[in-house]
Amino acid sequence: MANSEALGGKHLIDIVKYRFWWFALSAVLIVPGIVAMIYSSMIYPNHAPLKVGIDYTGGTILQYSVTKSISNKEIAQTREKLTAAGIENPFLQIINVNPANAKNKKINSIVSVRTKFIGERNTEELDKVSSIITSEYPDSQLIQVSSIGPTLGSELFKNSLFALALASLGIVIYLTIRFQLDFAISAILALFHDALFVIGCFSIFGLLFNVQIDSLFVTAILTVIGFSVHDTIVVFDRIRENLRYYSKKMSFGEIVNVSINQTFVRSINTSLTVLITLGALYFLGGVTTRDFVLAMILGIAIGTYSSIFFASMAIDVWRERKLKK
Amino acid sequence: MKNKKLMFWAIVGIVLVCIAVIVMKPTKLGLDLVGGSRLVLEAQTTDTIAKITPDMMDSLRFAIENRVNKLGVAETVVQQVGDKRLLIEIPNISDLAKAKEFLGETAELDFKKEGTPINGQPTWISTGLSGKDLSKAILSTNSQTGEWVVDLQFNDKGTRKFADLTTKMVGKPMAIFFNGELQSAPVIREPIIGGNAQISGGENGFQYEDAKKMVDLLNAGALPVPAKIIEENTVGPTLGADSIQKSKVAGIIGLGLVMIFMIAFYRLPGLIADIALVCYSIILFALFKTIPVTLTLAGIAGFILSIGMAVDANILIFERTKEELRAGRTLFTAINAGFDRAFTSIFDSNMSTIITCVILYMLGTSVVKGFALTLALGVIVSMFSAITITKNFMHLIFGTGELRYPQLFGLRKNEIGKAFEAKETKREKAKFGVLD
Repeated sequence: MANSEALGGKHLIDIVKYRFWWFALSAVLIVPGIVAMIYSSMIYPNHAPLKVGIDYTGGTILQYSVTKSISNKEIAQTREKLTAAGIENPFLQIINVNPANAKNKKINSIVSVRTKFIGERNTEELDKVSSIITSEYPDSQLIQVSSIGPTLGSELFKNSLFALALASLGIVIYLTIRFQLDFAISAILALFHDALFVIGCFSIFGLLFNVQIDSLFVTAILTVIGFSVHDTIVVFDRIRENLRYYSKKMSFGEIVNVSINQTFVRSINTSLTVLITLGALYFLGGVTTRDFVLAMILGIAIGTYSSIFFASMAIDVWRERKLKK
Repeated sequence: MKNKKLMFWAIVGIVLVCIAVIVMKPTKLGLDLVGGSRLVLEAQTTDTIAKITPDMMDSLRFAIENRVNKLGVAETVVQQVGDKRLLIEIPNISDLAKAKEFLGETAELDFKKEGTPINGQPTWISTGLSGKDLSKAILSTNSQTGEWVVDLQFNDKGTRKFADLTTKMVGKPMAIFFNGELQSAPVIREPIIGGNAQISGGENGFQYEDAKKMVDLLNAGALPVPAKIIEENTVGPTLGADSIQKSKVAGIIGLGLVMIFMIAFYRLPGLIADIALVCYSIILFALFKTIPVTLTLAGIAGFILSIGMAVDANILIFERTKEELRAGRTLFTAINAGFDRAFTSIFDSNMSTIITCVILYMLGTSVVKGFALTLALGVIVSMFSAITITKNFMHLIFGTGELRYPQLFGLRKNEIGKAFEAKETKREKAKFGVLD
C-alpha cells in the first residue's frame, strides 16, 4: 500500500460493485444502536435514549475534611478504589481550604465526591464511600451530605440540536453551491450516519457496561460531526474533479470507484494520524476523559468509513436512479 | 527563489513573535482543567419570606446564572446543593472580590411615594412599581451635567404602571430605591407615558463603576430572595488534576507518534510537515493567548481536531505531489501542481468546518462555543500553515530540476515517470492518469 500501486491501475478495488452490501453493513452498524436507544428510552425512568450521568440528573455531593494537603496521586488512588467498590462515576475534586475563612484551623483540604443520587435511607452506599475515604485518609470527617442539582438541563440539548440543525443547513447550502444538491445531501446523510453510530454505541455501552454520558459527550459528538463532513468533502472533491475530465469516457460509478481508490491512502493515513493521538490519550491519558476519547475514536473510524462506503455509494445510487428516469 | 527566501524569513519572524507571546502571556484555562473558585450562596429568609420554596430556588439559580454570565468568564458552573444553597464555580479570575460583590447583591429596585412623615423624617411607601417591570437598563450620561446616569426602559406593564403613577403624582417626589438605599427622589413635573425613566446619582452623582454595576445588575435581574455567600474556597479541576497530568503526557506521546508516522510514510516531506505542524501549533497557541481564549477540554477537542485537519492538508498535498512525480514531472511543477490540486479539497472542507463553527458559536451554549471557537481558529491557521509554510519549505529544500532521490518521497526509482508516460494508451491505466 505504501507505494500506492492501486493508483497505478494495478489493484483497482471495485467498491461500487458491492454498494448494497456496504449499505447493509451500515445498517448492521447502526440498527443495534437505534434499538438500544428505543429500548433505553422505554426502561429508563427519565425516558432518555442514553444513560445520563449526574451532569444531567443531579446527584449527591459528599464532602470530607482532611487535615493534610492531598496529592494528585492520592486522589487518583481514591478514585480507583471508589470505582472498584461499585460507586458509579465518582467525580472527585480537592478543595483547598482557605485557612483564614475556615472555622476549624486544622482542616487543610476537603475531598468532595459527587456521585449519583444517594437516598437518605440508603445509608449503605454512604457508608461504602465513607469507609473508603476513611481508609485512605484516616483523620477524615464527613462534613456535608447534600443533594446536588444538574449542571446541564434539557435546554442544552435542545439548544445544541437547534444549532446543529442550522449548521447542517449551512453545510447543505455551501456544498450545493460548490458541488451539487445530491452531494450536499449525501454528506449530511453521512453526518447523521456517523453521529447515530456513536450515540447508538454509547446507548449500548450504557445498557451493558453502565457507561454514563456527561457534558463532554456533546463535545465529542460535535467533533465527530466536524470530522465526518471534512472527510466526506475530500472524497467528493476528487469525484468532482474526475467528473470534470472523465464524464464522457466513464460511467458515474466508474468515476466514483476511481476517485475512492485515488483518495484511499490519504483517507487511511489521515484517520490513522488522528487515531494515533486519540489512542495515546485513551490508553495513557486520564480516566476522567476516557469515555470522551472513546466516543471520538469511534467517530473518527466511522467517519472515515462512511465517506467511502456510505456517502460515495449514496451519491452513486442517487445518480443512477436519476439516469434511469 | 529570492521571494521564497524572503517568505522563509517572514515565517521565522512570525513564529518567533508567537513564541515571545506564549512566553509572556498567561494561559487561560477553564474550570475543568485548572479549577478555580467555589462559592456557596445561601438563600436567606426574611420577615416577608418565611420559607425558601423550590420555585424560589429555581428563579434564584436563574438570576445567578445570568449574573455569572455577565462576568464574561467562560464555562462556569451553577448548581443547586441541598434545599437552599447554590454552588457556583468560577475559573480563576483576576478580581474575585468584585465578582463576589456582584453575585451576592439582591439588586432590588423600588419606586416609592411619600408617606406621612414620622418625627419629622420623611417616610416612603411602595408604589408597586419595581425592577420586575423593567425591560432593560442602559448606561448613559446626562447631556447637561455630563454625569453618569442609568436610563431605565419599562416593559409594557411597567410603562402603564409608570404612566398611571406619574399622572397621579404630578408635583410630588418619586423616590428610587436600589437595594433599600435611596438613590434620588425627583419631583414629577408632568405625566411620563413613554415608559422611560432615569436614575441620577443624587447630589454627588454616580461614579462610573457604580453606575455600570447597577446597569449590569438590573439587566441580570434581581434575586428573588436575598442570598449570602457563606463559603469561599479554591477548588481543583473538575476533571481531576491527576487525570489531566496523565492526559498531557499522553497527548505529547500521541503527537510524537504522529510525527514519526509522517516521517516513516512520507520521508523528507513528512519531516517538513512535522516542522510546519510545530510552527502551526506555536502560532495557534499564541493566538489563543492573545485573544484570549479560555481553554477547556471542549476547546482542546477542537484543537486536536484542527491538528488532524492540518495533518490532513499536508497528506493531501503529498499524495498529490507523489502522483505528479509518478507522472514524470519535474520537482518544481510537481510540488506546485500537488498544492494546486489539493487546494480545492482543503478549501472546501475547511470552509464547511468554518461555516459550522460560526453557526455553533452564535447559537451554542458555553461548551459548544468553546469548541467552535478553537476549531475555527485552528482551521484558519492550518490553511495558512499548509499552504504557506509547507509549500515554502518544500520549494526551498527540494529546489527545481528532476527528483534525483525518489526515496526522499518514499517512491521507488522505477515508479517515477513510468506510470503515465505519454505512450501509455491503455484506457485502464490512462483513467488513473494525472489530469491535464
